[in-house]
Order: sequence, then structure tokens, then C-alpha cells
Amino acid sequence: MSFFYFLSCSSFAQGTQAGCDLTLSGSVIDEHDKDGLSFAEIYLPELSRGTVADEKGHFRIDGLCSGRLLVRAMHLGCEPVERMLNLTKHEVVQFKLEHHAHELKEFEVARNRPDENVGQARNILDKADMEKNGGRNMAEMLGRLPGVNVLSTGPTIGKPVIHGLSGNRILTLNQGIRQEDQQWGTEHAPNLDPFSSDRITVVKGAASVQYGSDAIGGVIVTEPIALPRSAGMSGELRAGGQLNGAGGGGNAMLQGGMKGVRGVGWRVQGSGKLLGDSRSPYYVLSNTGMNEQGFSGGIGYRNMRFNVSGYYSWFARELGILRASHIGNLTDLESSITTGTPWYIDDFTYTISSPRQRVQHHLAKTELGYAVSDRGRIVLTYGFQTDARAEYDIRRGNRSGVPALDLSLTSHTGELVFNHWLGRKVHGKIGGSGLFQRNINQPGTGIRPLLPNYEKRSGGVFVVEHFPLSEKLELEAGARLEGTFIEVARYTQEGLYERPHHQYVNHAFSAGANWTVKDSVRLRANFSSAFRPPHVSELYSEGLHHGAAAIENGDRLLGSERSTKATLDVEARWFGGKLRTDVTLYVDRINNYIYLRPNGTALTIRGAFPVFNYVATNANLYGMDASLQYAFTPRWSLRSRTSIVRGRDLVRNEWLFQMPSDRTENSLVWSKERAGKWSALEFGLISTYVAQQLRVPADLDYTAPPGSYHLVGFQASASKSMGKHELRFGVNGYNLFNTAYRDYMDRFRYYADARGMDLAIWLRFNFGKNNKD
Amino acid sequence: MKMKYLLIVLGMTLVHSACKKKDDPIAPIGPVTNEEEVITNLTLTFTDPSDATVQYRFQFNDQDGEGGADPVITADTLPSDTTLLLSLALANASGSITQEISNEGTDHQFFFQRTGVPFFVVYADADANGLPIGLSNVASTGAPGTGTLLVTLRHEAIKDAPDVSSGDITNAFGETDIEVLFPLVVE
Repeated sequence: MSFFYFLSCSSFAQGTQAGCDLTLSGSVIDEHDKDGLSFAEIYLPELSRGTVADEKGHFRIDGLCSGRLLVRAMHLGCEPVERMLNLTKHEVVQFKLEHHAHELKEFEVARNRPDENVGQARNILDKADMEKNGGRNMAEMLGRLPGVNVLSTGPTIGKPVIHGLSGNRILTLNQGIRQEDQQWGTEHAPNLDPFSSDRITVVKGAASVQYGSDAIGGVIVTEPIALPRSAGMSGELRAGGQLNGAGGGGNAMLQGGMKGVRGVGWRVQGSGKLLGDSRSPYYVLSNTGMNEQGFSGGIGYRNMRFNVSGYYSWFARELGILRASHIGNLTDLESSITTGTPWYIDDFTYTISSPRQRVQHHLAKTELGYAVSDRGRIVLTYGFQTDARAEYDIRRGNRSGVPALDLSLTSHTGELVFNHWLGRKVHGKIGGSGLFQRNINQPGTGIRPLLPNYEKRSGGVFVVEHFPLSEKLELEAGARLEGTFIEVARYTQEGLYERPHHQYVNHAFSAGANWTVKDSVRLRANFSSAFRPPHVSELYSEGLHHGAAAIENGDRLLGSERSTKATLDVEARWFGGKLRTDVTLYVDRINNYIYLRPNGTALTIRGAFPVFNYVATNANLYGMDASLQYAFTPRWSLRSRTSIVRGRDLVRNEWLFQMPSDRTENSLVWSKERAGKWSALEFGLISTYVAQQLRVPADLDYTAPPGSYHLVGFQASASKSMGKHELRFGVNGYNLFNTAYRDYMDRFRYYADARGMDLAIWLRFNFGKNNKD
Repeated sequence: MKMKYLLIVLGMTLVHSACKKKDDPIAPIGPVTNEEEVITNLTLTFTDPSDATVQYRFQFNDQDGEGGADPVITADTLPSDTTLLLSLALANASGSITQEISNEGTDHQFFFQRTGVPFFVVYADADANGLPIGLSNVASTGAPGTGTLLVTLRHEAIKDAPDVSSGDITNAFGETDIEVLFPLVVE
């Protein structure tokens, strides 16, 4: 049995090369009982290919070239093991995996776990992918995955959109902790250091059973990097620079273990980035500079039965908002649309002026695990987060230095999970989770807060069980019950104090199947539900939303959104592996879908403002993600990714607002395993086509959606090994023809063209002992 | 199975203990009764240059600011073929903010656009750069008739753009702080 189900996570995979006819075979066994580990995964990260072992743990990979080869062995419940081989002949190797140690990673979802979220379609952005997109923000990197788009506010603010949904409908799990950072705002990018993880999994399904509320569109899991276990220090330096914005960033990481105490590991990491104003083809996008800094550190100990770890991260970011997008009323917006170019264009600068945002996010996490029996483990996780967000407007009377919005969000999250086995085959987890959150408006803004102070508590219990029916078919079923209690403290527009509270009880279920139909066809199906209690902003917004030039009114009677989503994912290999395809089809029915709907105008001193009310409807989202890879010669391959999503308002029988338009990315890739001192050489020419969004609701937008556009870019990269160190570097080009375009999903499309041509270089240097095993 | 119950109980205790009440930690200090940014009152006062007791007023009042109750707009009838001094006053709950606009004169400019009836405004003040603000003006009416007067205040406008200093709003841009449409009746 040999199956390439890594297609979706691969970057530029290698075809079988002429003259590359070596075979790697062997077995994967349990370190303790020496039993073969059934269906262990063998993965070659540099080649982005892999296989699955048979039931006795034996595997075989053909068509390998001679030279150094990194091999990773993984199995459900085990710590993955990596080994560097120097392949000169047919090689037989044995991997010993430690079965208990891994279970402490159980909570850190989905890492190398083929059985998590059985049947959920997913894509993985690994370290190589992230590197190749060096300098882009996280949403932009994710936006290249099929089924993922970006909702942006200019060149620096991006929010990922999964299957048409974003913001509060996407859950981000950072280091296993729910990221709580005011994601309700479309101009609020996730406060995550892109360097703090080197593997991001996107689960493209409703997944409330595993993760709790909000996972209606999907889950973004930024996975923690496993701590080293043995003595010896190693590290990594990364740096990148880009032309457009005339800036760059860097990251330094150092990790090690402790001499004499196996099981202790630590890591520290720090990063920084600075960009000036971006440039569109014809003008500077004034006040779009940014800077960010991040730091994280972790330490842990684990042995056969017990593990404990602590993690802390800090992330700060300051962003400029395009000066010309700051508008006083509808007349300003209309004049901006009519003029077609931003009214405010200044010389390039690194200075960030108002309007701007300043955010700081702290996360502290601790995890405790204990093996209560041979195969059962209890894991307790606690996370503490604070998120401070200050937004500065252009204000009269020297008040531009006083934030117009100053929010402080504190969240405590806890989870207790019992991983267990029921008999020899059935296994799963049962547990409970809780959230306590407080949102405070820092006094002194002099402006009625858009989002009132509130306290939110929620608690839930869940169970998920896996049923491997046969070697080829595994089923999963789960359920969750969760209650949410929200207390709001606010003054009404008339100045009356009120303390309303709301209570929501929700349940979710999931059922999934993972079926290997035959060696070359694998099928994943999932049917699951998710829920989202309304956000306080949807309940209590009242008044003018300056950035949107609209009066927004919440509705405190809104109920929870409930989504039921079915996904079918088919991965197949054709013509002996030359052609690989991965197609995901989905239907997502959301009851009580909350959105802003125009409701006439209100007269103010700034003229007539459109009034928008938060209303609920029933929505149906459906679509397809497809990726395809065809190796037409050993060195040349074609790679294609397409995302199509449709959203309908079922009550009004019209299209939903702000749904991504069809997008396809096609690249022609040349790669070579080895050339003299260089290895993993790769060059790709990338074409991105985004169609015009024609499916829009009538009379909801200020202007027609922008036209379709086509961008051309390239990516080139190579590695050089220097003794036990490794240097890898690359050059990227974006929008090479400096095409002027606007994207439907960019809120700045009313004001300015998107970013023009850009060239970026990046490099990574790894040093020290390879600490992975 | 006993273990599982224990775990559920543990989990619930964890959630519960986090839910204990304290002395209203989320109560805001007080309502933002006076949003300093918001202009709630605009008054246009037309004064006869030869007799200061003869005045005509255009007023815009929106006590609860943007959103909420509708504003009240009133306008006196103006005499035809007359030249009048036109001064503007702005206020909110904290008092007059005319001086604030005047102090930040280089960042502000008023514009007057009329329809339906002859009505002309000539700026009679200047900021530190010698460009008009529009708080003090000379207005003149012509033949009787009915129309509208749109008063606009732009913040951080390009005051030195072509024709802006003579009152043409086309090239001014910036943000609109005020845009009020008054009925204009000349008899």
C-alpha cells in the first residue's frame, strides 16, 4: 500500500527522476514492545512525498535519487522521528517510535495525526511553504491554499477566509489555545507572530465538537514546534527583505536540551519586521507602513508517564491605515470612487501617522499531562491571553494622539482532556473546556465606545471516538454541549446605564469517515455541525462606525448561528503517480447567519449616513477546492490550485455580500535535487487569476465589484549544506508586470489600487546539532 | 468510567470557579456624555452690516449626536438683493467649538454650495497661511426665490489646491466634518 495523501500539503513535489531508482524500505516499530506500527507514515519533507506503512509497519518508497535525504516517521500516538540518510544504494532502515511520549502532544491538535478530524478536508502550510512566501503576512500565505482567501484592508491587514467565512466564523488555535484578539473587526488582522510556528493546518469544515464555538467556517491551527529532548544546542536564523515597502524582517531561534536530563527541552525565539509605505503601480499608498516585534519562549520536561511545559509569547504590531481611506461621510466615499485615485499621495516614508492601529498580544500557556494507564492520558491545559488594541483616528483639537478606540481583552482558557482506549481499536478523547473573558474599554478616548464592556463565560463538555473498522476504513463520531453566558455593561445613547445579560446553550456533533478505496484513491467524508453565539458587537453596536462611514445598529435578540457542513474530499493518483488530484466539495448550511443589512439613511451633521442593522438570515454556502499536480517530465511539473465558493441568502433569495470570487493559481515548476554543492533547487513561474465577482446582492455595495485580474510571479530557492549547518535561500517576485488591479475582498478597493510589483529575498541558516530525535 | 465522571466534575469546577462574581469589574466609569469630536450645533448668523440688530439664522441641532433622534433644521427667510455679514458658530455639549476650528484654521475650510436661487458667499477671514477658513464671510442675495444651501466643513483638506480658496470644493478632498443642507428662501 502506498499512497500520496500528502498532496495537499506538498509544495513543489518531485516527480520520479531519470537515474533516480533507489529504494528506501524498512519498518516502523514500537520502541517498547518492538511491535510493528500499523499504518505508520513515512514522509520525505524535502521532496514533499511520503507513504503509509502496511499493517505490520513495513514500508517502501521507490524512485529516490542518491544523496542526502531527510526521512520522517510518524504514527498515531507517537513522537515523530526524523533521520537524515545519505542514500547511495537501496537502503533498509528501522524507525523506533516511542508510544507514550507522544500522547502529551495529543492536545496540540492534528500534528502528524492522520486520525484527528477524520474526514475533514484540510491543507497544511509547512515550513518550506512559509519560507517561500517570505515577507507576506500570515493571511496572504494561507490565501494561496485552495479554499482559503484573504479579506484585506490594504497591503498590511489580512484576515483568512475559509470557504467564504472569516472573522468570528473562523477559529484560530495558537499553540493549542483559542486565539482571542477582537477578531470581529474586518480591519483586525490576527495578532500572531508568523515565525512562532512552522506548520499551519487549515481544517476546512465545521469543527465545534473538537474546538468549541466559532469554528463554523473552519479552524486555523498554528502548531507548536516540538521541544528538543536531548542535550545539545541548535538554532536558526532567518532574514528577508522586500523592495515594495523597502523593508524586511528577521527571526532568530535557539533551542536545546539539558545535559544529563533527557526529556528537558527549551526554545527561545525573537522576530522583527519593518516596512514603509507600499507602492501601487502608479502611486505610493501613503501611510501603509508597519512594524512588528515578537518574542516567545518555551520550556518543557517529559518522560514516559508525565509531562509539563510552559510557553509564553508576546507580539506587538503597529500599522498605518491608508490616509486616503479615512473618510468623513458618504460624499467623501463617493468622490473617492469617482476620482479613482487616492486624494492623498505623499512621498514614501517609514513614518506611521493617524489613522493607525497599535496592538499587543500576550499569551502564557501551561500544560500538564499524565499517563494514568498504559494507553490513557490526562492532559490539562491553561492559557492566559491579554490583547490590547488602540486605534488612532484623525481627530480635531490635537486629539489625534488620543486613541479613538482603546480595548483591552483578557481571556482565560482551560481544558481538561482524557485520552483513552476502549478495547484494542476504539479510542478517543473526552473532556471539558472553559473560557472566562473580559473586555474593557480603556477610559479617556472621549468617544462613545463601539463595543461595550462585557464579560463572557463559557463551558463545554465533549467526547470524540474513533472506530477503525478495517485497515482501509476509519470512522469518527463526536458530540459537544456548550453554554455561554454574556454580561454587558453599557450606557445607552440616551445616557442610561444598563446591565443586560444573555445566555446561549449549543450543541454540536460530528461524523466522519476516512476510506482508502484503493492504493491510489482516498476518500474523506465529514458531516458535522458548529455554532457561534452572537458577538457582543452584533448585539450592541449603536452609532457611527467611522471606518465604514455607516451607522451600525446591533440587535440584542439575535440568537446563535448554527452551521451544518458536509465535505467530501477525494485524493487520487493517476498514471503511476504522475498526476495527482485533490478535490474537495462542500455544502454549508448556516441558520441564523448574522450580517449587516442596509436600512435607509439617518441624517447627521455630516449629511445622510446609510444605516445598517445586524440581521439574521439562513444562508447556504457551497463550493469546490481543487488542486492538481502533473509531473510531465522528471524535472518539470505543473501545479494548479482552484477555489470556487458560492453563498446564497435563502430567505431573500439573493447572493451573500463579500464572498470571494473564483480564483486559480497555476505554476510551472522546474526542480533539481542536486547540482554540485547545491541541493533542492527549484524555480517556479506562478500565474494567479482572480475572476470578477458577479454574484453580489443588489444595492448593498457603493460600487460595482472590480474587474478580474491576472498576476504573474516567480519563486526560486536552493539549499547549500555547510558541514552540519544548512543554508537555504530564495528570491520571489510578485506582480511582475506591475499590473494595476483591485480585489473585491479588499476594503481599500474604494480608494486605491492594490500593491504593485515586488521582489523579495529570504534566507535561512540552521546551525548546531539536529535535535529532532 | 468513574474516572470520566471525576473529570467532568473537575472540568465543571474549573469553569465554575472562574465564574465567581466580583464587584462589577466591567462597569464603565461613566457615560461618554460629551463626545468632544461630535459637533451637535451649527448656526449661520446673517447680520445686516448697517444695523446689527437685524439678524437672520440658519440652525442645525442634533443634541444626541450621530444616530438616535433626527436633527432639527431651521432657516429664516432672507431678504432679496441684500449684502449680509455671515458668521458661523459650532457647538456641542461642552460648549462652543468655533474657537477650536479657528485655532486649527489651516486644517479647516467651509464651503457653501447653493441651488435654485442666486446666493453668493465671499470669504472674509484667513488662516495662518492666508487661506480662507469660512467662519466669517460676506453673503449676498439676488432675486427672490427658493432653493437650498449646502454648508460643508472639510478637515485636513488640500486648501492650496486650484480654486479651493475661492470656495470651489472640487479639489479640496479631506474629511467631511459637516455637511448640512438648509432650505434657502429669499423674498
